[in-house]
Amino acid sequence: MQNWAGLTTLRFRMIEVVASMARGPVFLAGELMECLITFTNPMSHLSTSASSEMLAWASAQIHCQFHASENRVALPTRGNKQDVQAESDTVLIPSRGERGQCVLDTPPKILFCDLRLDPGERKTYSYSEVVPVDGPPSFRGQAVKYVYKLTIGCQRVNSPIKLLRVPFRVLVLQGMPEPPFPQDEEVSPSNPFLEEEEVSRRDARPLERALDMLMVTTSRRSPHMFNITNTRGKVAKFCIFKTVYRLGEEIIGTFNFSEGDIPCLQYSVSLQSEEEIQEQYQRRPGQAVSVTGHGRHLESCLHTASSHFSLPIPLNVTPGFSTDVVALRWRLHFEFVTAREPMEPPTVLQNQAEVTVWAGAEHVDVDTFSWNLPIKVLPTNPALASYVSQFTGTNSIHI
Amino acid sequence: MYFLTGWPRRLLCPLKSEEEPFHIQPSSQRFYFALVSETQISIWFSRPSVLIVSYIESVKAAAQFGFYQKAEWKPDDSMIAVATAKGYILLFDVLGGGDDKYLYEPVYPKGSPRVKVTPGYKEEQCAPALSLEMKKPVDLEAPITSLQSLQENLLVCTADGYLHVLHWDGQGSNGRKAVCLTTIPFSLDLQSARAGPALDLEGAYICCMEYCVTLDGFAVVLSDGRLGFITPLSNTIIADQLQGVWAADVSDGTCVAVNNKYRLMAFGCASGSVLVYMIDTTTGSMQLSHKLELTPKHYPDIYNKTGAVKVICWSPDCSVAMVTWECGGLSLWSVFGAHLICTLGEDFAHRSDGTKKEPLRISSMSWGAEGYHLWVLPSNQGRRRKEEHSMEEDSPPHPFLRAGILQFHFIKSALTVNPCTSNQEHVLLHGEDRLYLTCGDPTQIHSTSDAHPRTHLHPHDGSPLHQPAHPDSSLSQGLSTLLGHKHWHVVQIHSTYLESNWPIRFAAIDTAGQCMAVAGRRGFAHYSLFTRKWKLFGNITQEQNMTVTGGLAWWNDFVVVACYNFTDQQEQLRLYQRSSNLDNAFASVTKLHADTLLLNVFRDMIILFRADCSICLYSIEKRNEGLGQSASVELLQEVSMSRYIPHPALVVSVTLTSVRTETGITLKAPQQACTAESIMLNLAGQLIMLQRDRSGPQVREKETPVINKKLLPFSPPVVLAQCVENVWTTCRSNKKKRHLLEALWLSCGEAGMKVWLPLFPRDHRKPHSFLSRRIMLPFHINIYPLAVLFEDALVLGATNETVLYDGLQGSSEPLEALFPYCTVERTSQIYLHHILRQLLVRNLGEQALMLAQSCASLPYFPHVMELMVHVVLEEEATSREPIPDPLLPTKTEYALWNYLFAAVGNPKDLFEECLMAQDLDTAASYLIILQNMEVPAVSRQHATLLFNTALEKGKWDLCRHMIRFLKAIGSGEMDTPPPTPSTQEPSSTGAFEFFRNRSISLSQSADSISMGKFNLQKTFSMPTGSSPKGAECAENMYIDMMLWRHARHLLEQVRLRDLGCFSAQLGFELIGWLCRERNRVARVDDFVSALKKLHEDFLWPFPVIPVGSLSSPLKNGRCRPVLSTQLLESQSADSLLNSDMDTAPPLAVPINHTWTDSLGQRSKDTDTASSAHSNQNSPQTYDAFLSLVTNKVEEYSIGSATDLTETSSMVDGDWMMVDENSSTLSLSQAELEHISMELANKGPHKSQVQLRYLLHVFMEPGCLEWCVVIGLILRDTNVIKQVISFLDNPEVPAETVQSIRKGLLAVDTWASSDSLGYNPF
Repeated sequence: MQNWAGLTTLRFRMIEVVASMARGPVFLAGELMECLITFTNPMSHLSTSASSEMLAWASAQIHCQFHASENRVALPTRGNKQDVQAESDTVLIPSRGERGQCVLDTPPKILFCDLRLDPGERKTYSYSEVVPVDGPPSFRGQAVKYVYKLTIGCQRVNSPIKLLRVPFRVLVLQGMPEPPFPQDEEVSPSNPFLEEEEVSRRDARPLERALDMLMVTTSRRSPHMFNITNTRGKVAKFCIFKTVYRLGEEIIGTFNFSEGDIPCLQYSVSLQSEEEIQEQYQRRPGQAVSVTGHGRHLESCLHTASSHFSLPIPLNVTPGFSTDVVALRWRLHFEFVTAREPMEPPTVLQNQAEVTVWAGAEHVDVDTFSWNLPIKVLPTNPALASYVSQFTGTNSIHI
Repeated sequence: MYFLTGWPRRLLCPLKSEEEPFHIQPSSQRFYFALVSETQISIWFSRPSVLIVSYIESVKAAAQFGFYQKAEWKPDDSMIAVATAKGYILLFDVLGGGDDKYLYEPVYPKGSPRVKVTPGYKEEQCAPALSLEMKKPVDLEAPITSLQSLQENLLVCTADGYLHVLHWDGQGSNGRKAVCLTTIPFSLDLQSARAGPALDLEGAYICCMEYCVTLDGFAVVLSDGRLGFITPLSNTIIADQLQGVWAADVSDGTCVAVNNKYRLMAFGCASGSVLVYMIDTTTGSMQLSHKLELTPKHYPDIYNKTGAVKVICWSPDCSVAMVTWECGGLSLWSVFGAHLICTLGEDFAHRSDGTKKEPLRISSMSWGAEGYHLWVLPSNQGRRRKEEHSMEEDSPPHPFLRAGILQFHFIKSALTVNPCTSNQEHVLLHGEDRLYLTCGDPTQIHSTSDAHPRTHLHPHDGSPLHQPAHPDSSLSQGLSTLLGHKHWHVVQIHSTYLESNWPIRFAAIDTAGQCMAVAGRRGFAHYSLFTRKWKLFGNITQEQNMTVTGGLAWWNDFVVVACYNFTDQQEQLRLYQRSSNLDNAFASVTKLHADTLLLNVFRDMIILFRADCSICLYSIEKRNEGLGQSASVELLQEVSMSRYIPHPALVVSVTLTSVRTETGITLKAPQQACTAESIMLNLAGQLIMLQRDRSGPQVREKETPVINKKLLPFSPPVVLAQCVENVWTTCRSNKKKRHLLEALWLSCGEAGMKVWLPLFPRDHRKPHSFLSRRIMLPFHINIYPLAVLFEDALVLGATNETVLYDGLQGSSEPLEALFPYCTVERTSQIYLHHILRQLLVRNLGEQALMLAQSCASLPYFPHVMELMVHVVLEEEATSREPIPDPLLPTKTEYALWNYLFAAVGNPKDLFEECLMAQDLDTAASYLIILQNMEVPAVSRQHATLLFNTALEKGKWDLCRHMIRFLKAIGSGEMDTPPPTPSTQEPSSTGAFEFFRNRSISLSQSADSISMGKFNLQKTFSMPTGSSPKGAECAENMYIDMMLWRHARHLLEQVRLRDLGCFSAQLGFELIGWLCRERNRVARVDDFVSALKKLHEDFLWPFPVIPVGSLSSPLKNGRCRPVLSTQLLESQSADSLLNSDMDTAPPLAVPINHTWTDSLGQRSKDTDTASSAHSNQNSPQTYDAFLSLVTNKVEEYSIGSATDLTETSSMVDGDWMMVDENSSTLSLSQAELEHISMELANKGPHKSQVQLRYLLHVFMEPGCLEWCVVIGLILRDTNVIKQVISFLDNPEVPAETVQSIRKGLLAVDTWASSDSLGYNPF
């Protein structure tokens, strides 16, 4: 290599590798991920110094990195599975140089061997792989992180392996039942030639099935009514129309204060996620769960009879899940500021001899109390989540 | 624009009372609301919405003054005037309860973490303490009809026809003046001779009045229902200095509301419609601008039953009007009459079970601060009356109730108050506490569409497979998912900022759609989608020391704000960088010399409109300063507009654009297209353009690029359009889409949209001298436009949708049951077809073509063409009925087509070109055009061509359409049709008859158009004629012929797979056809090539010789033990060959199940087969057989093991029969066993099912040769045996027997030489 660089005309040998997920950077586990990887020799074929470029091989695989905060998670000592392989240079270890440990990887797929690119030439390969169903979702919590990446390794002859990483996001729909296969057959049309088109769409099926299931579970309305009461009496009646939501949906709840005995000055509803380390991995016994807020509705409601809130579930949060290390749950956290004294509304009598001026009280002695309502947050159509993803689904290197 | 969201909130008065408030009056800033009931006046605070004080009249005073009726605030909120029934004006002092005195301050228990110490906490969380004190009443001695607050005066109208002017601070009657209505001269316009006092005003009085600042006059409704406008000729209101104008021909006025920004007067009428008037500036007469009326189309059961208009309320920003009627309901309209919401229909009026709801009756309403809320006083009279009727004994006549107020929530487009350029490219809505933005950027999707040849990796072995890329399909998918989903990205405004600065007044988004900024009462805050974080002023003093006045906008990474600095007491233009902390230390500050009203950014220029009616242009430049960046601002130009603008508040928006009247020819250098050429000013709905003045000779010389060149002065303004609500232009440029990018888009309320389109001369021709260089084209869209995507030829908008939640049992009268939950949904619309059509109408076919060409790459372009055709046809179809002489428009349309195609080329040629290019969908569009222009024979000929091509290409949908089309086309009109236009002369009189005799039903397409939403689903409407039966039959025959021909063609070419698809997709009756063709085309000439072709088509592997076959393991052995090993073998072979089978569930259970089943079936089958052998081929027996095959198919799908066993198990019994019947064929048992073994080598499961299916299709009509071929490929000995058994049948012609024999021998020869796998056979 040194000799090459020492030639009289300095030549920059370069191949540009661009990986791009056309569908966007968000996938549902079990879905087929497709990524186009383009290798370009950027030299113009007119340039005199241009020459063909060679790549020995390129391969790609998906892996999920797990990283835990030392302060919160006590992990058993790691097996040295990776260190054994790290000896050899020609072996692709997708997670090399990454923090944490690789909890999941798919078998590497060879894109090509011995690729020759003439000046200006470009070749595109399509990598497709089913995103593993049994993995954790992408999650960036306070104690634990699960990060998915597509790693493309490629190597020039006699050069170290270069890695191109494309981070992407995985949504997991836990508890999706696998429909039995024969059932599928039954619905197929009797004329086998009509089946043609359906078969061509088979790729999209797991996604469609998952989305159907999502729609079914989250569009069902099952109103829950709660009488909100504290030690001093009834405060309000609360109604929530369902407790299972998709990402991006709005949580709607109504309050009725008109039947309460205790005046409520203010209420707030916060959408919170609780990240709990499973008992056997907790650093300290009885370790508290980490609570993160994702939106809050605050309202003054003293002279309000009925009101409602709508809290959007951000598209970028992780739906509830549970692995052997961590569990993520969702809840609505309520806080009520209530008067200490019950207040019977004064009656204004007409036809009084004197003018009456009623004015509100200057001070109200209050108490606050809170309440939690667990809810379920499920994934949504990954295409929708792609629009606001922090990832682009595209990355590139020059080798 | 405004949209209703959620449910209304219900406030409840903390006092119980017999009375219920019927009038609500906001203070000038809308922070306080005065509620009036018979003997009470109460003041509510806006946020928190709580009752502050309530004044209850004593019995004695109430008797003296009469009931309260109306209230009006003094502009500084320090007084309230209340009008009473007996003609008194009661003046109340509104007294603050001393400094820092607040109500409802929560006192937390000691040590509570919620005890807050932040400054201003009480202001945010508590209501100010106020009290009311009555001053001396003023007796006007006549019932009071109207109250209007002017600056220092209170104007009161009384029922005796007088106008009283009271001084707010005047004690008693000292400051009183009165004007009698009869002394005011009224005329139709101000120019006509000053007629004396109108005599017919005797006894009339003003029953409703509102003052319009920008018109400087009063809009009045008289007691006789007439509408008028009274102008004071001098600064004060003196009797002989007033002049009035009438609105012509109206006598049922009920109320009035004026719009100060647009200088409009909206008069409510007893008929239920709202008449919106403007004042003609030249004559001073009242001119009807537009009407707000419910259409019978959308509100069929209520539009004429609303009763009189009760209240009209313009929103605080003057962009919408809320209207309610006597019957109740709320309806919302944009300033120029686009209808947005009405609660008299759909979910508002009906429960989910379909029953009708009582509409909400409203006694009074008022917009809250910034228009986020509408405070509504419901009138419960209807309900009370009902109660009294139904259960008089139960309810006391006057129950003590807690009065309720409804607060409806709204979100509005950022354009309504801050129409900066970047807000025009994204849909940005803001509610009280959140922002709604469209997520996903269509242009992003477009940029990724440059697909290069791709190499596919085979999913199993990773080898590159070359597959054709489908960039178009994925692109359109991307766009349709983007447009199809109705999701908003909702960003909650940071609560800390919101609580201290509520309400949000301005919002802006950057051009990339990634950064937002909001400004409330003080300061501002910004948010980035990328970091998902808000940035607030670190120093709260800095925040509280400035207030945004003229709006805010993004310039690259900077927030540009026009604000007032309270510390320095001056107006400033500030630029803050997004990435640095929000702090004045990082801001660039420019002092301004007058208050700013509007701000906009164009490329590297800021344009300000100031309260002194001048426009200032500033240049912005980015500077690198050490670590950070800063921007420097320099004044470029100042243009005084005071000559043209009567009042600064009338300016709705100001924009710099590169748009100008002359295009193309004068454009010397292309880069000039990007310079800021003109100022666009929306003056109260009048769009005014000021172009740079290039007339001066010295200017020409200066065209050499000089860096510090003096900017050209602006020419006098030109009015481009009226009734403009929004204007869209872009500063981007794209040579390929100049029409779309250099156009100016306008939304004009009920009139829809307009585009000011540039017209370009064709390169190789001289520009037509008669062409103006731009043309204003109106077009209708069905959504309210909020953003124009220039390159994509799309309009984005939003509409209100509703969800019912009324199925709940709960509290007595939940709001969820009374009102649907309102959501706002995204909509979009394509408009290209309207523009193309408009261009054609104006004989601008060439421009239409150029425009169309520039958009041809859009994914929905074929859809546009189709829509266009539909629109044209629809107009023809609809215009015929009502108009007695309808042929003129028809002729023009038709002539236009001729014209267009004269320019583009002959449609026949185009059609054929499309066919050649395999662009069948476009060809189909042309076909419709052809059909309208040509003799039926010609269009049929073309349709046939297209049909055949579609058949060949397997475009089944198109085929089905074509069948319908052909059927319809034959509905024989054989009149003299027009000739194909071959010359430029659009003269074809034949068109009249042609169209007259054609009945075109477009129900389908009309629906899809009226839906108007973006719909990629193809709608293909056909002319369906009421045709004589005979013609129909002939037509069906014709189609059948074509289908037969195609089937023959397929069979001749041994394309069985295509034949199967063809028959399945088009419902082609294959068996019947084969019966006829049995001895013709359904023969097999070359068995070997047929076999090969089938292998190829069905991806069927050629048989390989199993290792064990040479030694014939089955020859003398027992069946069972061998079979079990065989089963394993075949399974493993299967899984290797066909990975599809991997997904099958474990074999064990189904096998057990079908094993016995199929055995039973099998024996039955042999029965039927043998009976079939002896009898004729009766359909019944074959039915039974078919069911077996389905059964068999299942077995195959489970695994080959079962088949194998079955075949083997019955070999002995059947073999004898075969042997007896056909001695010519000698097959040894061992060989058959080999064959059965080779079943393991079968092809894909699906192919097998299909082949089995085909086998039966051929079996039934007795196409035995084909049966043999398929039997061979399936290697199903049963089939062969069966066929052979049939050969004995006398019905089977001898040549068939011969042919089969010959064919089998040929296969044998071939098999032994080329395909050893077949050899054992």
